[in-house]
Amino acid sequence: MQTIVQTVARTLAEEMRRDDRVVVMGEDVGKRGGVFLATEGLFDQFGPDRVMDTPLSEAAIIGAAVGMAVHGLRPVAEIQFADYIFPGFDQLVSQAAKLRYRSGGIFHAPMVVRMPAGGGVKGGHHHSQNPESHFIHTPGLKVVYPSTPTDIKGLLKTAIRDEDPVIFMEPKRLYRAIKEDVPEDIEFTIPLGQAKVLRQGTDLVLISYGGSMAETSKAAEELAKQQISAELIDLRSLMPWDKETVLKSVARLGRVVLVSESPHTLNFMSEVSATICEEILDSLLAPPIRVTGFDTPYPYAQDREYLPGPNRILRAVQKVLEY
Amino acid sequence: MIADTQNFKPFNPDPIAVLSQSGDWIAPFALTLDDETLKTIYKHMLAARLLDERFIKLQRSGKMSFVAPHSGHEAPQVAAAHAISKGTDWLFPYYRDYAMTLALGQSVLEILAQTTGSRLDTAKARQMPMHPGSKTLNIFTGASAIASHIPPAVGTAISMKIRETGQAVLTSFGDGATSEGDFHAAINYAGAKGAPIVFLCENNRLAISVDFNKQTGSETIAIKAKAYGMPGYLVDGMDVLACYYVLKECVENARAGLGPSLVEAQVMRFGAHSSADDDTVYRSKEELELMRQRDPILRMRRFLEKQGLWSDKAEEKFIKETQLAFQTALDTLAEAEKVPLEWMFDDVYAELLPHLAQQKKEFLG
Repeated sequence: MQTIVQTVARTLAEEMRRDDRVVVMGEDVGKRGGVFLATEGLFDQFGPDRVMDTPLSEAAIIGAAVGMAVHGLRPVAEIQFADYIFPGFDQLVSQAAKLRYRSGGIFHAPMVVRMPAGGGVKGGHHHSQNPESHFIHTPGLKVVYPSTPTDIKGLLKTAIRDEDPVIFMEPKRLYRAIKEDVPEDIEFTIPLGQAKVLRQGTDLVLISYGGSMAETSKAAEELAKQQISAELIDLRSLMPWDKETVLKSVARLGRVVLVSESPHTLNFMSEVSATICEEILDSLLAPPIRVTGFDTPYPYAQDREYLPGPNRILRAVQKVLEY
Repeated sequence: MIADTQNFKPFNPDPIAVLSQSGDWIAPFALTLDDETLKTIYKHMLAARLLDERFIKLQRSGKMSFVAPHSGHEAPQVAAAHAISKGTDWLFPYYRDYAMTLALGQSVLEILAQTTGSRLDTAKARQMPMHPGSKTLNIFTGASAIASHIPPAVGTAISMKIRETGQAVLTSFGDGATSEGDFHAAINYAGAKGAPIVFLCENNRLAISVDFNKQTGSETIAIKAKAYGMPGYLVDGMDVLACYYVLKECVENARAGLGPSLVEAQVMRFGAHSSADDDTVYRSKEELELMRQRDPILRMRRFLEKQGLWSDKAEEKFIKETQLAFQTALDTLAEAEKVPLEWMFDDVYAELLPHLAQQKKEFLG
């Protein structure tokens, strides 16, 4: 049994043992093992050349990772909080994301940028954000946001072995909230762009990803008690995303609620909703409804209320069922 | 300022020069380059000047959308190419560096294919002109965002260091770039790591129209090196041999594990910032006239002539050959087919992701 954050450290260690090109870099990732302990034990096992404490500069971390990747390493950079990606954002957008395209494929940057993201930890607006839409809107980046230890293992391995820059978002309020047995196989991987149907249902579809999977699962359990059968999907991967699985379930049941804690406008679920409407409008029995964070900076005092919790999800379910 | 060997002292207040304006050797150490190399350095500068003039003609005739002229910057650019080990060391240039990549060995065809957006461009005509890149020559294909190539340059240098490959990186940029956060983030990291990298600032004292004294309160760029824990050298950027000796020493120090250096080459931008700029608005003809008297190509030519290595006849012959090479390349490009529409969708990722496959299919019908 292991938590998400333990799984991150163990998976990194496995990949570093498998491939000596894999290096870990970031603030406090060395002896300290990361402020969340996501790199715990790596420094002792692999030493300072492969587990590198960097200056406090996200631009330097991401930019240097690009240069290392171009030179043949497989850097896994940690950004201490997703909220601090912005000083390094230009390096992601102008360098990492566009290198393959602008060079006609002669250079590319196989690298992973890991970052704890999401609210519910009393962190205020600079320790709670979910900036995935920025990344998804940047062609050249792949984006994953798993929610369980097993998916963390399978997707982190795939991300490290991928030939493109992958943004690996980790739901930090679930870091130690879930414990499960994780496959021991060092070759256990999960392809990017593959959603997981966690629960088969007959009345409606609930779709979410990342930290919000916890509240969405709770809502599904609550519905089961009320004899309402929800099909539950964890997207896991946002770029690419698994359109087929989503469309299949939604076409079958005709009703869908989309849950994601990032701000409402241009939330990734807006894209999912638009795709559903464009491609399978005729099968819909109700308009897709998004349950999201609000279009405000992430608040401090209303830390829990901002999140799309089970009650808000249940209200949306009622709406699509009664439509 | 200059020691009696070729070991230069950092933080020199006056720019290091080894050639006088009239082309005399004024350094306290002996010239070590052989005649062929000296001639090659000159030829590279001259070819680069001719290339710049050709760029402008091509832009005016609509064959290039944009030019950032490098005339006046040839000395540090050609010197940098000669200071590094071709195909072993890595170059992270900026957008005004075609003299550098030409001198490193990029073919005229490859350069013109990029600048004219041809199907023959190795980068598949994905970027506007003035963005060199080469896999075989280890020239990192840059982005337009100023200074954004410097953090990756440092990353490559760190990779060289931790894997002990014995290579070095040279990255170049203008004075404006030193105001960007990326410059600070990168050079600071390089200093902390002792990475094998040479930072070359081609300081023409103009960021488009903004004067150097509005760019920074610092007297020079070179002096900033002190705060980053590395030597800084101020060099006469119109003296190609001074640029060469200083850069060579810095590259060798980097390879020897002595860490990074910052070189500021004081150059003069003879042209406007770009083909989209009118520099007559912010500087006078007289100013330009004075600059041109310090032309780096003339200084090197005077030196070569005094050594009996160059003549009017050699000059005429070389210009003719170079123009012919340009024409041959342009003829080849004229025969190339159009850039395929479907290239728009390739190389976003290693594989064509499903959503892009769908967009490509719908678009191409």
